[in-house]
Amino acid sequence: MHALRDVLGEMPLHRSVKGIRKGKPVPTVTIDGCKVEVEKDATVLDAAKKAGVWIPTLCYHPAVSSDASCRLCMVELDRGDWRQLVTACNYPVRRDIVVYVSSEGAQQARHGVMELLLARAPESQELKALAERMGVKETHYPKVTESQRNCILCGLCVQVCEEIIGQAAIGYAGRGVDRTVAAPFRQPSEDCIGCGACAAICPVGTIKVRIHKDEQEVEISPFKSRAKLLICEECGAPIISMQVSEQALGKVEVNCEEFRERVRLCPKCRRSQTAGRLKAATANKENGERAVNWH
Amino acid sequence: MTVLGNAKLRSTAELEHMQEELRARHTPSAKCVRVCTGPGCAVKGSPKLYELFCEAVERTGANVEIEAKSVGCHGLCECGPIVLIQPGNIFYQKVEEPDIAEIFRETILGDRVVEKLLYENPATGQKAVTPEEITFYKVQKRIALAGNGLIEPTKITDYIAERGYIALAKVISSMAPEEVVSEVEASGLRGRGGGGFPTARKWHSCREAEGLPKYVICNGDEGDPGAFMDRSIMEGNPHSVIEGMLIGAYAIGSEQGYIYVRNEYPLAVEHLKTAISQAREMGLLGQNILGSAFSFDIRINRGGGAFVCGESTALMASLEGRPGEPRAKYIHTVESGFRGKPTNLNNVETWANIPQIINRGGEWFAGIGTEESKGTKVFSLVGKVKNTGLVEVPMGITLRRIVEEIGGGIAGGKRFKAVQTGGPSGGCIPAEHLDARVDFDELTKLGSMMGSGGMIVMDEDTCMVRVAKYFTNFLQKESCGKCTPCREGLSQMLHILERITKGEGEVGDVEELEGLAELLEGTALCALGKTAANPIMSTIRYFRDEYDAHIKEKRCPAKECRGLFRYEIDPEACTACGICLKNCPADAITGEKKVSHVINQEKCTLCGMCWEKCPFTAVLKV
Ligand SMILES: Cc1cc2nc3c(=O)[nH]c(=O)nc-3n(C[C@H](O)[C@H](O)[C@H](O)COP(=O)(O)O)c2cc1C
Ligand code: SF4
Ligand code: FES
Repeated sequence: MHALRDVLGEMPLHRSVKGIRKGKPVPTVTIDGCKVEVEKDATVLDAAKKAGVWIPTLCYHPAVSSDASCRLCMVELDRGDWRQLVTACNYPVRRDIVVYVSSEGAQQARHGVMELLLARAPESQELKALAERMGVKETHYPKVTESQRNCILCGLCVQVCEEIIGQAAIGYAGRGVDRTVAAPFRQPSEDCIGCGACAAICPVGTIKVRIHKDEQEVEISPFKSRAKLLICEECGAPIISMQVSEQALGKVEVNCEEFRERVRLCPKCRRSQTAGRLKAATANKENGERAVNWH
Repeated sequence: MTVLGNAKLRSTAELEHMQEELRARHTPSAKCVRVCTGPGCAVKGSPKLYELFCEAVERTGANVEIEAKSVGCHGLCECGPIVLIQPGNIFYQKVEEPDIAEIFRETILGDRVVEKLLYENPATGQKAVTPEEITFYKVQKRIALAGNGLIEPTKITDYIAERGYIALAKVISSMAPEEVVSEVEASGLRGRGGGGFPTARKWHSCREAEGLPKYVICNGDEGDPGAFMDRSIMEGNPHSVIEGMLIGAYAIGSEQGYIYVRNEYPLAVEHLKTAISQAREMGLLGQNILGSAFSFDIRINRGGGAFVCGESTALMASLEGRPGEPRAKYIHTVESGFRGKPTNLNNVETWANIPQIINRGGEWFAGIGTEESKGTKVFSLVGKVKNTGLVEVPMGITLRRIVEEIGGGIAGGKRFKAVQTGGPSGGCIPAEHLDARVDFDELTKLGSMMGSGGMIVMDEDTCMVRVAKYFTNFLQKESCGKCTPCREGLSQMLHILERITKGEGEVGDVEELEGLAELLEGTALCALGKTAANPIMSTIRYFRDEYDAHIKEKRCPAKECRGLFRYEIDPEACTACGICLKNCPADAITGEKKVSHVINQEKCTLCGMCWEKCPFTAVLKV
């Protein structure tokens, strides 16, 4: 029972604090015996990538800050007379350290976490594939918690929505096993612009983008949030959520008129229109006239 | 008397002068009634008693100077409401509204003792007039709770009269910050909030950490069910916490402090607020304290309402206005805490010890306790003991003395089974370790922990598997749900425990629990998850036979788990009164006049109605 030591172990000792300040700027990480040098404050995961060692991750994504909530990326850190399990995705390298990825303790920890996740989300194909790659065939735990369509609560969707999109249209509701990702009050969110970034980042395929052609709306399920779609003026195919195009207008430097003109059509129609114009231009050129400059 | 006005104190000399004046005014013959309004007595109606005393003072008043004081918890809540009369330090227990007139007439006006309100030693039958004569108090040593019961928490002058803020004055006028840290280091004080981390080491790290401003925080979240140590200090002696924080801030180099108070503690908030504004008015908080270059102020924040909000990083997130959820501590809060700045967090009781350590010296404090655990610890002693309440004992005292001498032994003539220490993620310690000493490391070795000071005594009728289930259920509900092992693992463990207590346990369940426990300890994000398996692990360690009885024999030895024991009627004791027969909702009991009754086990639904109703305790659990 060394939980207390675990907690205390995280406390920086004066000696090591000083060591960091005075130590060399490029610490060495020894991963399963392989030595790599990384920038100070890089993570163990960064080091592992450099060393070519694979560590399974779920809640980690380079685009957003790491919350280390899935606990799948456990590795063992050498602390002299004992080893501490740490999460590779956010453990900062501040001095020379030795870590073990394939040690029995580290593997056991990762397998244990994966088995718990499999019990929570037994239907997710993505999760199964990752488990298989880790060498976990199945879980021996029964499914005892109700999860929202296989959600493993990695939190990436919440983070991408807040940190990258800047909308914070979804967050957490409930505590403990009842925790879910939801829009405020579990109602469709007004803040959702229907960009689908959450669906794109979801590692287990829980979040889906649905197109409702009749209503000309995009729905982000399971949050039930909907956004109006821009519709191709030619063929009627949905292009992109209107708010996304509005926001994009604010973020990129383009000639607005021109951009509006562009997004009137879906990519397919735009291509055929451009092709048509090019054809006409070529024909005109042959007639000695100047080509129309489309953009 | 100019100093006693609300003028700002401009120097340490002015503070000392004021203290002398206050003490001089406090003539020893002054009569005073102290009504305990601590949590234990308050639920038994002591605020009303206080009011009645106040009214009586007004009515009789004139020639005798009588003061009615509302004070913090005295402990011995079992005997509440408690009233102390000065002079004489007369201790009255179980005081009720009608007693007030008598106390007034006899004791206050007539200087006579009201015998029937005195505490009687259950062993010897002797009456105790003063608290010193009661074993419950004799075995204790009060440092953190010293001021409780002595001072009126809403009066800063009371605190100052009892040498309050003298430690602050000493620090400001004659000690360098490093010297303050050294003094605390010499005391050996370790955090009282759970982890037992050396306080001086934390202060030093925070002092050394780069970045400004630095913050000091007081953790008054106290989420353990049934615990009220910190509450009593905040309610009963708020200035001791403020003075401790002032000294810490001076040592660390901080100008802003926060007290994070559990949302359910409105009186603590009120008393702290009053105390802070009084301290500000007197120049003990704010700019240039006591005329020095040191400035410091304190704000109060109300807690987020969840157990996990007491965890350091969750608390800081909550203070910042974000959801109270823990984050990884690989970079510790002394380096990057509240708002990403160096932050020193200590528990209420930790802070309350500081002024005394400065006043009486680190060495004095280190003289109390064991090699690695110094000073005293406050416990809230509850459960199946005769005396329950807040107790403060020197570290190193045995569990047996707490249970038997302070607690007065097990109530109802039952046998002791275990004592659970350390709050919901603590462990159960069995009878064979009753002589273990209360010490951070000793308790950890036994598979429990000091925690913040919960102490629940259990008797032979307690099923240890159910105890494990109770705490696991609490923790599962309080898990924030952020990380996988805690959220999913606790649910899995609870599921297994539920099966076992229903008689559906399978061979291998205990090993499964052990495996999950190890996984949680190693992989959970915060200490809630890391220590959550302690109740399970400690009960498996000491009461494995009970698990086995449930699993293999489908039997609950303590006869608490419904379905895992039977009800039977003892034919010798049965008087054939027919009460059970009438009350059985399942018509499972047969019998006639003068013929002892019998339970038909086929029909019995195990509701326990007969067991409850039988006036001759002839219904047995077997
Ligand atoms: C789930 C959880 C709940 C906690 N609750 C409290 C609490 O209510 N009060 C407290 O002082 N410490 C609590 N702690 C401990 C704090 O995280 C922290 O260690 C402590 O406040 C530091 O103060 P100390 O060094 O003076 O003990 C809790 C820890 C955990 C993991
Ligand atoms: S261990 Fe439990 S309480 Fe702590 S972060 Fe994980 S889920 Fe939340
Ligand atoms: S990937 Fe590291 S904790 Fe989730």
